[in-house]
Amino acid sequence: MILAAALAGGGCSTAKWTVKPHQRELLADRIMQPDGNAQETAADEHILSNREGAIGGSGTSGGGCGCN
Amino acid sequence: MTAVATTAAFAPRARATQDAQARVTLFREPSTQNEGIKVIHPQVDAGTSLGPDFHFAVGYEVDIVSGATPAVFGVRPGSVDAVTQATHFSDTRHQVTGTLAYTRPTSSWSFGYSYGFESDYRSQAITGGATTDFLDHNFTLGLSYTHNFDRVCDANNENVGDQLLELKALGNSSHCFTSQPDVSTQKLSIDTFQPSLSWTATPKTLLQIGSTIQVLDGFQSNPYRSVGLGTQNAQPQEHLPIYRQRYAVYARGVYALPAVRASGLMMARYYQDSWAVQAVTGEVQLNKYFGNQLLLTLRGRGHFQTGASFYRTATQYSELGPGGKYWTGDRELSPMSNYLTGGKLAWIKKPGQDRSSWYVEMEVSAKYELLLYHLESPDAPNADRTHAHIMQGAFSLRF
Repeated sequence: MILAAALAGGGCSTAKWTVKPHQRELLADRIMQPDGNAQETAADEHILSNREGAIGGSGTSGGGCGCN
Repeated sequence: MTAVATTAAFAPRARATQDAQARVTLFREPSTQNEGIKVIHPQVDAGTSLGPDFHFAVGYEVDIVSGATPAVFGVRPGSVDAVTQATHFSDTRHQVTGTLAYTRPTSSWSFGYSYGFESDYRSQAITGGATTDFLDHNFTLGLSYTHNFDRVCDANNENVGDQLLELKALGNSSHCFTSQPDVSTQKLSIDTFQPSLSWTATPKTLLQIGSTIQVLDGFQSNPYRSVGLGTQNAQPQEHLPIYRQRYAVYARGVYALPAVRASGLMMARYYQDSWAVQAVTGEVQLNKYFGNQLLLTLRGRGHFQTGASFYRTATQYSELGPGGKYWTGDRELSPMSNYLTGGKLAWIKKPGQDRSSWYVEMEVSAKYELLLYHLESPDAPNADRTHAHIMQGAFSLRF
């Protein structure tokens, strides 16, 4: 939102920052989605959150398991 | 919660759609000293649209855990190493989830509830999320919040007071969540906040930055684990701080390679928390189509972290005692690095546009990944486990 306000308020044209709908054919493909399949991402996070000492990075919230 | 609006946002109102997915993941972590750990994790999810704007989904997943884990992290002078005295265990965790989502052309909201239970742990969580697009759908701002109301079974240590070396470990879960005097129930509250911003940078590039902020307040120790401390070999229950703040920032980018019908993804994450653990993680992924129905995904990931401020190796705990009033036998609180590599093959079937069909899309996939552990010391927790196998099979249907 801050970026949009800065661009508009500064009189900048937003055209060069935007991709038009007719240009998004490639972006609609499943292999262009960073989050991928939600169920698969949840399964990955379930393992990695229990085997890494860190969290985050997938865009989803992990669940606890008590898998000690 | 970080859906990217694409041309689908401009599609005419579709007929009612239903979707179903089933997935089974097998996690196998062998040990050179005992039977190691095996986790079977089946998941089932189903959803349906309710009118043009609402979508309702339910899910059910299970963790079937079995194996052996050392009851005591430490070295006993004049005796065998604690690792070989692992205790066999098995348990099953169930979790049910319900989610309701409301989608408009430039925004969406969702609300979810989950309930998980096993013999020694109960969890309830509520999740709220929202996304909004701006600048002609080129930017998507996502926000997600989850609150967990968890309860953990523990041994009854109410009379210990300040005598922390007298803390007793939980022997088994048979009396958990009952009024038996040998057990108690501890609370754990978890708040997780995840903002993200996605940017359709070019017709072939998608960028995303985000953060995860998590605050835990309550019992976080492993109730079954003891730690050998000092030359007198006291073995109190693991004792972790009640309060923990965790922060992570990440950046991801996806780049299309249309000439070879592929895409590449990169992710970088920095993490730190109030227990002094710091970590950096990097991941690369390649997706490529073969023909009209096969999709191959290859992934590589590296994770590097420091240990918690109160962490010590088994030898250090034995010779020096604890570093303060906290001690742990958790490998994930030790300085270590992990490496993940593997791939997935998916078969995707869509009926031709000139044919009517009862389904819109069907997918079957199989995945294998190898997780390698690298610990800083042979006296670190679970040093007998150097790797794990991850195998997964999945089936999904949209109709």
